[in-house]
Amino acid sequence: MSSGKSKGPNKGGARRHENDRIYAHPLPLIFSDPSSSRTRSILGLLGLSRSQVINPHCEGYYDPSTRSVWVVNQRDSEILWRRGFFGKGNLSRSEPSWFVRQVKDRKSRQVDSGANKMTSEEIREKRRADRKQFKLDRAAAIAKVAAEAETIFETEGRVVVPALFGPEIPSGSTWKSKTAESERESSGSLENAESKREDENEGEEEEELLEDMEHLQLTLSEAFFLAWNFDCLTILDPETACFDEPLSLPEIWTTFQQIYLAPPIPTLPTPELQLDNPFLIHYAVYHHYRSLGWVVKNGLKFCVDYLLYKRGPVFTHAEFAIVVCPVYEDPQDQEVSITNLRNASPFTWSWLSTINRANSQVMKTLILTYVTIPARSRLSKEMLKTPACFAHYSVREVIVRRFIPARMRD
Amino acid sequence: MDDNLELPNNDGPEIRVGDNLEEEDQSSGDEDEGPDWIKLMPKAARPVIPKRGDKEFEPSKQGGSGLQQHILQRARNAIKSISYGTWHPSLARVSVTVSRGISIGTVGHSVPRETAMTNGTVKTQKRMELLPEEAIYLIERGSLLCWKESAVEYPNDGTFESISGSPMTVQQAYTEMIGKEDLTMDRYQVYAYLKRLGYTVTRTKPPTAFYPLTAPFPPSLLTLTSSSSCNSKISALFSSYSFDWWRPLRIRRWLKMDKNYSFIFQSLRFIPSGHKVPQYSPTETQTPSSPYEPFFNLYKPPTPFKKSAPPPPDYQMVVVNARTTPMPSLRELTAIYDNAPELPPPQRRVRNPPQIQGISYKNLTGTGGSDTLAQSQTHNSNTPTWMSSPSMISLLPHGLTSWLYAKPTSSLQKVERRPNPFAVLRQGKKTAIIATVDAGTINIFRFAQGAFETGPWF
Repeated sequence: MSSGKSKGPNKGGARRHENDRIYAHPLPLIFSDPSSSRTRSILGLLGLSRSQVINPHCEGYYDPSTRSVWVVNQRDSEILWRRGFFGKGNLSRSEPSWFVRQVKDRKSRQVDSGANKMTSEEIREKRRADRKQFKLDRAAAIAKVAAEAETIFETEGRVVVPALFGPEIPSGSTWKSKTAESERESSGSLENAESKREDENEGEEEEELLEDMEHLQLTLSEAFFLAWNFDCLTILDPETACFDEPLSLPEIWTTFQQIYLAPPIPTLPTPELQLDNPFLIHYAVYHHYRSLGWVVKNGLKFCVDYLLYKRGPVFTHAEFAIVVCPVYEDPQDQEVSITNLRNASPFTWSWLSTINRANSQVMKTLILTYVTIPARSRLSKEMLKTPACFAHYSVREVIVRRFIPARMRD
Repeated sequence: MDDNLELPNNDGPEIRVGDNLEEEDQSSGDEDEGPDWIKLMPKAARPVIPKRGDKEFEPSKQGGSGLQQHILQRARNAIKSISYGTWHPSLARVSVTVSRGISIGTVGHSVPRETAMTNGTVKTQKRMELLPEEAIYLIERGSLLCWKESAVEYPNDGTFESISGSPMTVQQAYTEMIGKEDLTMDRYQVYAYLKRLGYTVTRTKPPTAFYPLTAPFPPSLLTLTSSSSCNSKISALFSSYSFDWWRPLRIRRWLKMDKNYSFIFQSLRFIPSGHKVPQYSPTETQTPSSPYEPFFNLYKPPTPFKKSAPPPPDYQMVVVNARTTPMPSLRELTAIYDNAPELPPPQRRVRNPPQIQGISYKNLTGTGGSDTLAQSQTHNSNTPTWMSSPSMISLLPHGLTSWLYAKPTSSLQKVERRPNPFAVLRQGKKTAIIATVDAGTINIFRFAQGAFETGPWF
């Protein structure tokens, strides 16, 4: 996450340019034009263009137990994350950075280097350590001031109220991180020791060869979005991977639906496809917001289903928090439904107040996204065999905000 | 405290004795508060008791002689204007006989009634009547003295309180009036809360034919949410080239306009979205009566309100009980949106506007505002001479361009800023305002009809 504070050599502006460069493409497809600029302008006047679409052709493995698609290849993970922020590293906070952290960890054990570009996990740890230290320092300063007040009272009899604020007590703005200073001090002294230890370092590296254990995990909605619309992700079933045949799109379509309908005991036959399958509903919402240009990520941290980012998590905080509310066109369908859809019945006011309060604390606007499920009487189950059934669903938003009459008076 | 002061007594201590009526008549204003036993205490230990008002006198044991009542009444009229009314349980209305004071200015409506006059004829007279919530509010404030209608007719001239007994207490008013004319405790609490903040509150659905109808919204703003025409995008998709549901994105090989990301995003928008998509409802189900109908019309405090011809309201509010009523379903919300006006896009707030004389910032939002600002900038003496000549030059093409195009494209465009895209998305097109009352706590929510599919797109 980029922040306004400067971290080492990458101050705010440089980091932004860096991010603009790395995350320049909103989708995995890239346009490239091999012709010269003159040809381009001539063709452009005619409304033509020779630019081609470059498809990265990434690969992933389907895992039914985690209901996700794993992208194990490092090149593919990088492409999918950098062009559209798809997926999440399974050992990291968001971007797959486990390998980078391990390498830096090793390097720092050997040589105490100065401030490098830190991954978001490291920034988070540093922030937490700083805050802990600040609280300890502040408590010590308050205790010291109180002790002084006590001695004044005993010796002189004057009553001095020990202050909780003041020049001696550190506040958020005046406290300086001591860890940065101590790091620089210790790095100076360790440089002398470095030369002595160089012989030992080579021996250490030979022992453990660092292999990237992390993969990028895509949700089923993300995987289907990439495979269906851009054809840039081939999905392999690990059980049949030895035959090296990727799943075809119709196979992917039915498999992803059936994963939500799987019976509790595997020996029972899989029930037929349903109109109110959670996969269909969540995919409709995901596709809707992606097609409008938003980056859609999981919203578990804020009690909601999805978060919408304007360009991506590295640029700004999410602006909107989405709660998916499925609505049955025919109320009778709801009674006979076998999938237990969450939020299918309107929830209580207390829960709405809770989510609203949690999200307004973090400056996000709560949106209820209603997805209408077509009535069984209107649509046959045969339609579920192709994505053509999406033409019968609909997605609409309702924005929830508090109305405070005292502030709306003028 | 001193011992002899611990027990309460009516007489007061020996310092002051009984009524102070004779002194009272001469100098009611200079009277100290009653028994001044504070002076008995030593100076150091005197507690500070806030001075509030002057008590005119101590009532005599019979409960107030005629003279005392008269003086009390005179004092009351001097301080506060009080109106008088009669509560008619059969009509569920309070008829106002004497109306005084500012708080009665925004409530009530006039109703023609047949009254029997003293000379025996029946005449139709217009009198002001209050709805139950208005009446309780005024009684609670102390601006209205209300008597219950009794069998004995007394003259309507405002001085009848001496023969009809004491007016209705607040408790009696609540007991009598809550429950009449669709007024529940929840609705009354919301009404009183808004009135205390200064809003003018009337009812959306007129309870009788005599209740003044609010002016309707201008028809341009009332767009139907669910139109009968199909979603145009879907029909276009199906009619033009054959849309392959297994390959929804087709980038044509040679066309330049296909070769950018906005084309890709645009062609991915094929899932029906937005509130304009018609909602299918199976015809067999009858819609049960829903509590989600606007009950109150709200007018912001500075709005000039004319009782006989009220303007279109600023807000319309639904009141529900938070414990018994669940959140509105999509159908109920759509029903509210169908009757609500469309909101204009929110304007940017101008923070720290530069000091230019003669410009009212209320005009700055339209293109007209930028023109006037441009003219004033050349008159602004603060701009150095080298800056003023380019601005003069830029004015000329600005003037020319404003002839040719609707919007001026000069750098002065910056003054009229388009609204913040997030604010546009957050406000939505229409709102439904719902007040939930949970055992006295009022939480008001705005459910706005979102329109993400109309942009802005990123």
